[in-house]
Amino acid sequence: MTVLGREILRAMLVLAAALAVGFIVTALVSHEPLKAYRALLTGALPEFARGADGGWAVRRVTRMGAVLEEAITLTFVGLAVAIPFQARQFSIGADGQVFLGALAAAAVSLAIGGPPFVVIPAACLAAMTAGFLWGLVPGLLKARFDANEIVTTLMLNIVAVQIYRLVIMDLMNDPAAGFLTTPALPLPSVLQVMIARTNVTAMLLWAPVAAFAAWLLMRRTTLGFEIRLMGENPLFAARAGVPIIRTTVLSIALGGVFAGLAGFHISNALLKRLPVDLNPGIGFSGIVVALIARNNPLAVPFAALAYAYLQVGAQVMERTSDVSREMVLILQALIVLFVASDRFGPRLHAFRRTRPFRRRAA
Amino acid sequence: MTADLLFVATLVGATLRASTPLLFAALGGLVSELAGSINIALEGMMLIAAFFGVIASAFAPHWLPGAPGLYPWIGCAAGLTAAIALAGLLAVFHLELGADLILAGIGINILAQGLTMFLLMAITGDKGSTAGLASFAMPRLHMPLVDAVPVLGVLVNGDGLAGQNILVYGAFAAAGLVRFLLYRTAFGLHLRAVGESSDAALSAGISVRKMRYAGLLSSGLLAGFGGIFLAMGYLTLFQTDMVAGRGFLALAAVFLGARRPAGILAAALLFGASQVFAAQLGLYAVPSQVVFMVPPLVTIAALVLFSLRRRRAERRRVEAGVATIFAHSRIIE
Repeated sequence: MTVLGREILRAMLVLAAALAVGFIVTALVSHEPLKAYRALLTGALPEFARGADGGWAVRRVTRMGAVLEEAITLTFVGLAVAIPFQARQFSIGADGQVFLGALAAAAVSLAIGGPPFVVIPAACLAAMTAGFLWGLVPGLLKARFDANEIVTTLMLNIVAVQIYRLVIMDLMNDPAAGFLTTPALPLPSVLQVMIARTNVTAMLLWAPVAAFAAWLLMRRTTLGFEIRLMGENPLFAARAGVPIIRTTVLSIALGGVFAGLAGFHISNALLKRLPVDLNPGIGFSGIVVALIARNNPLAVPFAALAYAYLQVGAQVMERTSDVSREMVLILQALIVLFVASDRFGPRLHAFRRTRPFRRRAA
Repeated sequence: MTADLLFVATLVGATLRASTPLLFAALGGLVSELAGSINIALEGMMLIAAFFGVIASAFAPHWLPGAPGLYPWIGCAAGLTAAIALAGLLAVFHLELGADLILAGIGINILAQGLTMFLLMAITGDKGSTAGLASFAMPRLHMPLVDAVPVLGVLVNGDGLAGQNILVYGAFAAAGLVRFLLYRTAFGLHLRAVGESSDAALSAGISVRKMRYAGLLSSGLLAGFGGIFLAMGYLTLFQTDMVAGRGFLALAAVFLGARRPAGILAAALLFGASQVFAAQLGLYAVPSQVVFMVPPLVTIAALVLFSLRRRRAERRRVEAGVATIFAHSRIIE
């Protein structure tokens, strides 16, 4: 079997195992576990039905739209996680970077006028810059002060969410809206819808492009090589002359660029105005996506699509059965645990410790 | 004057209460960290203990009618069991299935979050909290005699002189106990040896696996106490996400406290005080968003200051000829 085939098989195995364990949990609390699981697994599909006039009609387009919208966000966030993870920098800061990216995109969209070909790239660039700068902070803290990046990124997430709320309430609030939110973004800055009755925009095409760009960065540039080398063996990388400090900082900050794009997508394609109570937590979904894709940028869009499909299915499940959508969090956790396990299926090299602890070495 | 002193005494009491869950969890983090396994999942272990503590104490009257004194303890036992079970799951995935500890820890945290929300919905039909259930708090310990002394009474027995929760005393006692266990017993020596150099420990005949299991399971127990205090002392109900990052603050306290019990005690008190300070700021028309930024910013500042101090100490040792310049190369490991 080819390497690719084995990888796909492995991802399928993990998903199937997680779904199986999830079903046991569901069966323990639900009176209608089969119905719930059917909704979870098929709820996101569009429905093709024969209309009264004999022609075919597609129903539930919005659900398919929701899958694609979510998959786009998750692709960007998954890339934002995969790059630092390849350097073995466990940055969990995607959440904060997404929030500040969205904020920057909305602020630029509201501040500058002009035709779409000016405003949209400007907003996009602002979001990427915001994500990059917010990623620089934990990178520098790690490289200069040896501050554990897990702790600092989690703390910075809290700070970023509070900055976001403060700015929207005090500086960008639209008093006419009736709830705490920015004014609606001006029309030229909003991306054109490609599928009617959904928010699927040109970002659907840009997400795979971003994945390809990330792949080029990691596989075809010196920086990407240095990032991967440092992740495999930091001691060797240092001896071989890899600039450890610069690579550490950039691996986290470059992840931030992609998180910023996710923020741009949320602000200028999905919501078109930013409410103060935007939900944090997308960063953890990004970790799951990156893990399923085993940090390979080219696999991230597919993992994102699969995950988005489950997430929309879970919302359908919540509406049509007695099982709540938090089931997906449990599945998410099981997927992370299974993927992270070395001895569960074929070996996983990317995350091996430099000196694995052996069972009976003596 | 007395009013000022009273105010300070109230703040000290509040700081002790805010530090309690952090101290418990940080001690747990310390034990597993010294055994060589960093525990990212303190947060999830606190959460699951809080949930099962509240649920079990609320259902205890059905199981054991007529023994009201026992209900909080039943909850406490259930919560601790759940936290230890979760720690056991993490240990099995890491030590038996070879999962990376950090990734598995992230998974365990998500599992705890999902499981508590899912079961909360299944048991109470409410997604936010167990406000509809009558759950119990752990008993308060009232110190006799000091009430008569004006400031001391408030200092020791808290606002309203009702006494501090027994777990507040428990946390500080646990700090001493953990210190004794780590530095005065053979078990502690073995545990630290495994963390220091697993190869050396193995060749000395210490079971690395057993010690790492012990470290992770005890971190589950201690973090569990922290979660129990949050839901059965600090508050008397369970809310989704009620741990609110305290597990990660506790992890920061482990590093900040230089992986020593006394340092961790100081770090936990610092974080507790910053939470109380943030709450006080809230009274002075400072936007709540700014208030919420204080504890994370204090954490980051403290980590940076700690690193600067350590580096200066290292340089001094190098200059004194005690260490070599290679001490600095630790940054790349």
